Amino acid sequence: MRILVVEDDPLIGDGLKMGLGQLGFVVDWFRQGREGLAALAAAPFDAVVLDLGLPGMDGMDILAAWRQAGQDVPVLVLTARDTLDERLQGLDAGADDYLVKPFALSEVAARLRALIRRRHGQSVSRLVHGAVSFDPVARTAWLDDKALELTARELALLELLLSSKGRVLSRELIEEKLYGWGQELESNAVEVYVHHLRKKLGAGFIRTQRGVGYALGEPQ
Amino acid sequence: MRQRPTLQRRLAVLLLITVPLIWLVSTAVAAYEAHHEVDELYDTQLTLFARQLLSVNMGERGDDPLPVLPKTKKLIRGGDRGEMEDDDIGVAVWNEAGDLLLSDGKGRHFSFDAARRGFYTVSGQDDTDEWRLFYLPAPDGSRLVAVGQRQKLRHEVVLKVIQGQLLPWLLGLPVLLLLILWAVRQGLRPLQLLADNLAGRSPQERSPLPENVPGEVLPMVRALNALLARIAEAMEHERRFTADAAHELRTPLAALQVQAEVMALMPDEAGRQHALALLQQGIGRATRLVEQLLALSRLDPLQGLPAAQPVDWAVVCRDAMADVAAAAADKNMQLQLNWQDSPAQVLPLTGDATLLTLMLRNLLDNAVRYCPAAACIELQAAATGIVVRDNGPGIAPEWLARVHERFFRPPGQDMPGSGLGLSIVERIASLHGLRLQLANRPEGGLQVSLHVA
Repeated sequence: MRILVVEDDPLIGDGLKMGLGQLGFVVDWFRQGREGLAALAAAPFDAVVLDLGLPGMDGMDILAAWRQAGQDVPVLVLTARDTLDERLQGLDAGADDYLVKPFALSEVAARLRALIRRRHGQSVSRLVHGAVSFDPVARTAWLDDKALELTARELALLELLLSSKGRVLSRELIEEKLYGWGQELESNAVEVYVHHLRKKLGAGFIRTQRGVGYALGEPQ
Repeated sequence: MRQRPTLQRRLAVLLLITVPLIWLVSTAVAAYEAHHEVDELYDTQLTLFARQLLSVNMGERGDDPLPVLPKTKKLIRGGDRGEMEDDDIGVAVWNEAGDLLLSDGKGRHFSFDAARRGFYTVSGQDDTDEWRLFYLPAPDGSRLVAVGQRQKLRHEVVLKVIQGQLLPWLLGLPVLLLLILWAVRQGLRPLQLLADNLAGRSPQERSPLPENVPGEVLPMVRALNALLARIAEAMEHERRFTADAAHELRTPLAALQVQAEVMALMPDEAGRQHALALLQQGIGRATRLVEQLLALSRLDPLQGLPAAQPVDWAVVCRDAMADVAAAAADKNMQLQLNWQDSPAQVLPLTGDATLLTLMLRNLLDNAVRYCPAAACIELQAAATGIVVRDNGPGIAPEWLARVHERFFRPPGQDMPGSGLGLSIVERIASLHGLRLQLANRPEGGLQVSLHVA
């Protein structure tokens, strides 16, 4: 799941990027308000972590601009402004959730997962398809109740496929969801990960739609 | 509870006291005037009457019985117009010997006195009433005429005049009172509306009060509006301070917590080392924040400088420069000390050298912190003041007025800071009677100057 982080404090921003990265998210981090504003439309982000006190453009203004432009990506606001008035103001401006600094990284991750799940209309966190199931919190996949050994990218691809049931995902979209800006990527990376997953989960788990992309196969 | 004096009650009491007083005085004046006029009129009539009687030739009647007329109403039916009873007037004519030649009314009771001339006021037979008499002798002294009138008649006329005046006053007083009270109530209605407006306000509402009030109330409304504006400003300042303080105090903690969690999460040594370095940086930032807070809390209660000594600026400047020299060298910066006047002439004042060093160190530290590498920082000392100049990015004009506020930092700082440095500088400066001024230099960079306020 690809997350946009807009946070001007270098230590917090770096921590979010590194920490959320370890927790299974693909993170792009921007420190300037205007950069963050423009970034949301440039990639298929699943959620945003937005600080309010930003240089160039205030977080509240960015949020309002996104909502005005019709962006419905879930936004988790992170801020030190904690008075009731300010929290209400943020929620009214279109924030989906609110966390006051200092916060626990695990809580940020949990809230992001909940926001994304809710957006996809899921109410349970575990994703199941046939004999394959995946726990986004534990970042563990099972085949017939047997835990699988998967790399972080393989897990990310599995999560993406499981949360996009019935949809065909283009190679470009998969690349964008799996890699943040500035991350190196081999031209055939997606094919490689699809191949690995098929080997571990069964050839029919991923279906190739020629000229379009990949989708989940029939549940087995 | 004792009732407060209201304008209405006060006015009512005032009117109830003054209006009768005015009536009393005006009545007294009117009575006096009326008495005077009535006297004049009746005296003239008496005089004329006496003259007419004298001019009538009565002849010598000799032994004729004294002619006495019956009462007027017996002479003519309905001929008695006016209030005057026949008993209230009198006429008498005597010869020089004092024999009564003619009398009418009570005239026969008038006493003869050949020496009497002109007006006399005498008491009547029963001593209860007074008579006004006019004695007029014939030029040859052969006859003496006396005409008279009861004084009561005159008093009655005056009394009527006073009564005529009393009625409108008595009727007018309550009407006047009601009218004035109504006018006062109407005039004070805007005050009641104003009170309702103020009472119905929420503490957050800061819109000015409407100024469509009478001229007497307008100054109060304007003053209230000015007060509301000042309160709104103070509240806004307070709100900003709280928000800035929350930001500056919570951000370092948030950074520490995040980096600590990251360190625990990182599977590889390189990642842990990276997080550890940032964690240490965060601890440094938090430490500096605590130090600045402590410095400010020590400065805040100071009313003055208990141990003020003549300041040796050479030592103060040298110490402050030395404190930031290492940081400046790390960033390859040029740090210059420029004496415009001899150290002995620079800003002659007494003060606390330790605090002044802290003040200069904060200014130099800001310059080193926020200027890019290889920047030029100059500390200039002159008799007129101390100036710290740099050729860094300056401060965005919209933040210039706020940077000295506690905990305020323009958003988007790469460098850690507490937002308290300039507050500390300003506090020390004001303790020494100096004023802090910040300005962007036209050629780029920031100029911070300290002058005698």
